[in-house]
Amino acid sequence: MTSSSVEFPELEQVRRRVLLALFVALAVALHTVEVLLPNPVPWFRIGLANILALTALFSYGIQALWIVSISRILIGSLLLGSLFSPGFLLSLGGGLVATSLMSASYKLWQGKIGPVGVSVVGALGHVSGQLLIAWLVVIRHPSIWMLLPFFLLFALISGIVNGLAADYLLESLYRHPVFSRLKNKSVGEGALTFQEETDRENPTLKVTEGQ
Amino acid sequence: MAADWAQRLTPFDRKLLIVVVLLVASSFLILLGQKTGGKVVVSVNDQVVFVAPLNKDRHVELEGPLGVTVLEIKDGAARILSSPCTKKICIHMGEVRRSGDLLACVPNHLVINIEGNKNGKDDDYDFIQR
Repeated sequence: MTSSSVEFPELEQVRRRVLLALFVALAVALHTVEVLLPNPVPWFRIGLANILALTALFSYGIQALWIVSISRILIGSLLLGSLFSPGFLLSLGGGLVATSLMSASYKLWQGKIGPVGVSVVGALGHVSGQLLIAWLVVIRHPSIWMLLPFFLLFALISGIVNGLAADYLLESLYRHPVFSRLKNKSVGEGALTFQEETDRENPTLKVTEGQ
Repeated sequence: MAADWAQRLTPFDRKLLIVVVLLVASSFLILLGQKTGGKVVVSVNDQVVFVAPLNKDRHVELEGPLGVTVLEIKDGAARILSSPCTKKICIHMGEVRRSGDLLACVPNHLVINIEGNKNGKDDDYDFIQR
């Protein structure tokens, strides 16, 4: 009764790999584009790439989250030429703390927590991790922690925005038969629809493939 | 419209969000509530030469390798009035008042720290000259 998506486990494996590769590619693209945006505060980023990490987490689990996050930071920094610079250390430190907290909260409150919740936790973890690295490596001075409240406020807002974006993305992805086996109750309302509509997602994915 | 995005949060997300908002708000409160520092600690060549409370106005002449730097303590803040160094960066650093803030005159080997006064017994003395 199910559609073409339930065929062979191997096919599912290949799909997982291809989609994760696409997620990484998209995340790297967002990571790079974000640098071009005007920036009010030196280290502050919206963290748009996290949308893809969240999508990977809610469609393929914690391992996928780590793959997308870490690959994104490494490849993104390589492309921007900041690999192994102090900025990269900040990025990596923030990324590691954020990803750990995101996996922990996802695991701890499985089924209850949605993309917005995980995203906010991740964003707060990211700024805290960054500030920790900045304090350890760059400026060894306690007054740097006076920046934390402002960073947390920014992180809260961008975390909600990213979480909502991930929720919208997941909702439309779940309409596609490829994702139909990966129903997740904590996402949107559209998660259960099972139509074979000629979807809007395929063009989007193909665009990224071409990049 | 506002309700539209709130629909996308799971009930747990909403509770989590409230907790996080409170957390961020309290972090701001902690920042604002942070008392202005209690005392000024001056070191020359990493040796503490002068300690004084911030709440008493005074001018201090500090001897460094280059000459005399004049420090002013006024209205709970410290700033450098004059300095023998060439670039006068220390003067342009303005005034400091919060615990953890610092002024520095690198050419004159001078570092001025503001420290908190958690232990009240430190308030007893007027100043220490070493």
